Amino acid sequence: MRLKTCIHAVAGLLASTAIVSAQEVSLDLWTIDDPGEYHYVLAEEFMEKHPNIQINVRTVQFEDMVNDLARAVATGTGPDITYIDNPEVALFASRGLLMDLKPYIEKSEIVNEEDIYPGPLASVTWEGGIYGLPRGANTIALYYNADMYREAGLDPDNPPKTWDELYEAAKALTKPEENIYGIAFSAVATEEGTFQFLPWLQMTGGDYDNVATEGGARALNFWKRLLDERLASPDTLIRGQWDSTGTFNAGSAAMSISGPWELPRMSEEADFDYRAALLPVPEEGAERASALGEGDNVILASTDNPDEAFMFVEFLYEQMPRVWNEFGYLPASEVEVKDPQNPEIYAVFEESMKYARNRGPHPEWPRISQAIQQAIQTTLTGQAEAEDALATAQQKIDGVLGK
Amino acid sequence: MKRYILLALAALFVAIYLFPLYWMYVTALKSGSEIFRFPPTFWPATLHFNVADVWTRLRMDRFLTNSLIIAAGTTVIIMAVGTGCAYALARVRSIWMDVAMFTTLMMQVLPSSLMITPIFVSFNHVGLLDYPRLAVVLAQAAKLLPLYIVLCRTAFMQVPRELEEAGLVDGNSRLGAFLQIAIPLARNGILVTAVLVFLLSFGEYVYSRSLIGERALQPATVGLQSFMGPNTSDWSGVMTYSAIYVTPILFIFVLLQRRIVSGLTAGALK
Amino acid sequence: MARFIRSVRDARGLYAALVWLALGYLLVFSAFPLVYNIVISLQTVDLFSLASFDRPFVGLQNYRDVLSDPVAGTVLWNTIRFVVLSLVFQLAIGFGLALFFQQDFPGATYLRGLFLAGWIMPALVVGAVWSWILAGDFGVLNYVLRTLGITERNIFWLSDPDVSLYSVIIANIWLGIPFNMILLSVGLAAIPRDIYEAAELDGAGAWQRFFTITLPLMRAPLGAVVSLGTIFTLQQFDLFAALTQGGPSNASNVAQYWSWQLSFQTYQISYGSVVSVLMIVFVVAVAAVYTRSTRHEQSY
Repeated sequence: MRLKTCIHAVAGLLASTAIVSAQEVSLDLWTIDDPGEYHYVLAEEFMEKHPNIQINVRTVQFEDMVNDLARAVATGTGPDITYIDNPEVALFASRGLLMDLKPYIEKSEIVNEEDIYPGPLASVTWEGGIYGLPRGANTIALYYNADMYREAGLDPDNPPKTWDELYEAAKALTKPEENIYGIAFSAVATEEGTFQFLPWLQMTGGDYDNVATEGGARALNFWKRLLDERLASPDTLIRGQWDSTGTFNAGSAAMSISGPWELPRMSEEADFDYRAALLPVPEEGAERASALGEGDNVILASTDNPDEAFMFVEFLYEQMPRVWNEFGYLPASEVEVKDPQNPEIYAVFEESMKYARNRGPHPEWPRISQAIQQAIQTTLTGQAEAEDALATAQQKIDGVLGK
Repeated sequence: MKRYILLALAALFVAIYLFPLYWMYVTALKSGSEIFRFPPTFWPATLHFNVADVWTRLRMDRFLTNSLIIAAGTTVIIMAVGTGCAYALARVRSIWMDVAMFTTLMMQVLPSSLMITPIFVSFNHVGLLDYPRLAVVLAQAAKLLPLYIVLCRTAFMQVPRELEEAGLVDGNSRLGAFLQIAIPLARNGILVTAVLVFLLSFGEYVYSRSLIGERALQPATVGLQSFMGPNTSDWSGVMTYSAIYVTPILFIFVLLQRRIVSGLTAGALK
Repeated sequence: MARFIRSVRDARGLYAALVWLALGYLLVFSAFPLVYNIVISLQTVDLFSLASFDRPFVGLQNYRDVLSDPVAGTVLWNTIRFVVLSLVFQLAIGFGLALFFQQDFPGATYLRGLFLAGWIMPALVVGAVWSWILAGDFGVLNYVLRTLGITERNIFWLSDPDVSLYSVIIANIWLGIPFNMILLSVGLAAIPRDIYEAAELDGAGAWQRFFTITLPLMRAPLGAVVSLGTIFTLQQFDLFAALTQGGPSNASNVAQYWSWQLSFQTYQISYGSVVSVLMIVFVVAVAAVYTRSTRHEQSY
């Protein structure tokens, strides 16, 4: 027993002399991950490399993150580093609550501003500063059940490329007597609804600040037609993407619009030949667009240890080549992914990333998003015509933008 | 004969009423895609036990311990603070008591989700957030106190005044009469209400979610919610978790239910 | 101190002390949040000025803004329907069951007790279970209704704007039945049997007995159930979160959920507080009317 104590003491002494130059630093990290996921895994790895830095990880629910963070910042109990969903970065950056990483990035040998894809870069940029580093990215594409395509006499190697083709395919694939819908997507009144709708609007030339367009009405009416003709479930109005795609996995929908985060579950549950294709465009040759998701690692301006905090954020960024295979996101910067899993689907998402556009940025993004959600919902429930609903939304958005 | 028809009817009512409970258990036993099947299966085609997996993967022992601590703490505080008030409200009928009663009720009219921001701010101000479980207990006690008072009041109303008067004549003080005569006589009602408060606090969610940051201190409801998050949910797992979580409550309840019900009702017959 | 002890010895002092103990607790832990809400509803507040009281005062401007929002009318009407329908059905079914289990048959107490199981289920779990039962495409309720031939097509309980509010009401009624039933059972048990027997001898029928004896004697428990039921119904939040999120298109949005959405989803915290203050005003008004009416009854 005594011997053991002695050894401990000596070992402790050695250890403390070894790192005498580096002070013990502890960093608080908030994340939406659960143990075993991205932040937990990488924090462990980082601590192994830097034994003098202790990282305390805390999980916050995705939908609570902004509120909890704001409350913590207001009461002085905020973390050093946190994850923020990309449309929310501007909210915090505009208040000067986040640390500008630009000076650090300029000195960094690992982070190169030019390597970051324009969409993710736009999400962390606010008035010339860079307020975070993307941890990855995601986007949406069209999943389809190739077996059902064959059964319906469609060519699985030739998925729909335009909206009209998508409609025809959905119609051919819908089998009401078997409770099979042609397509599943999400028009829910949350950020997810906006996330799914914006690309449709953008493909017709509109954007979040310009919604009352002919193309916008066309997109909404297209969605409405899918619902009205029961080519998509009426529950599309209240289901998020995860539950919608759940019906696709269960064989109750022949196509589904969602992102790469579905793949782990799909590979377990979907016992059919599933494939992915780019989102169809309004007509051949039209501009492409896709949604940009995932979030960023940011450092709070109130941190006491900015250098160590950046070291960690930089380390996270360095792991970008691993995110697809290990964590299920797409890389947010130009890196080479070796032996990607689901290579064909990865190729589709990788291409789709080129068209992925950021939501905003705007510090009052949630109000803009809510106006869009309301337009979607009032149109799809038949309470308003698409044109009127979008005009109402435009009015609200103009109010927020101060136009 | 009529009695058995009534029994059959009663059983039917209970069966209809408890169907959602049954559905929870059945869903927990189904596999992922069987849940989405239509027509739904009333008994799982393939039994899919993931109790052990969910239990260990989510460290449910720790979550349930925290739930127990929070529920017990809330119950103790409510009993200490509320019993006397219920007694007084049962004994005195005056406009002031009506006002007091009314105020207690009014203060709890907002759902926890709307009370949480001011509670967070004030608790943080006085340093209570360093003891997160205590913070939840205090807030939750305030939420259930009115309910406890209203239910306990009926228990005290059933204690005949004359017994207390007799106690006073025997030299007891007022306080003594309350502690030694009224409380023992209303014991059943008090205990039953306390059990209900305990069970309701066992399901507390909103305060715990916001006040307890550290995973190791969170109760089972918060664990369930994080399990149900947008991209990590498997519904069979959620229902398994719910089932694990609800079963002990139901078990305690079934064991005690005769007492609970008779405590709430039968006392009045005397 | 001695005076205090003496005052505790006499009845009024003791009662006052006991009531103040509980009231004091509530004042500390509940009154502050309420006052805070009222203050915020008169100021311009954003997400980051929550912890200080030093914020621009705007008077009733927030109230004007909220009330002129077209959603306000929908929400008010939904809230009224939600509260009234929930209360009426909880009360009717709860009272019916209480009367039913009052009869003498084997296992009556035992079976009645099983109803309480619904009440002690955590709201989160109840919400999740009901969302599965009510699901449009694969929900078991649709299956049962179609098998029994009551409906031809699936009803989209949660996503049809004409139905979604009623879905939440159904789940809420389910939650409220046990509480109503048990409290009313307590009241029924307190009515002495001999009154009924005397009435029966006088030739009063079952309905007559119900209206002349049961109902008048049940006034106190009914009052308690209605006032607590109102509070529980207005507090009901988890079911909305789990089932419809107030949608689609606000078709099932009610005051308590809207207030939360304003504060926590679009971060218009002042507006959220306005809605919660209006809720309190509404409840106080209803309660005042209720107490007045009972006083009036008692006076003759």
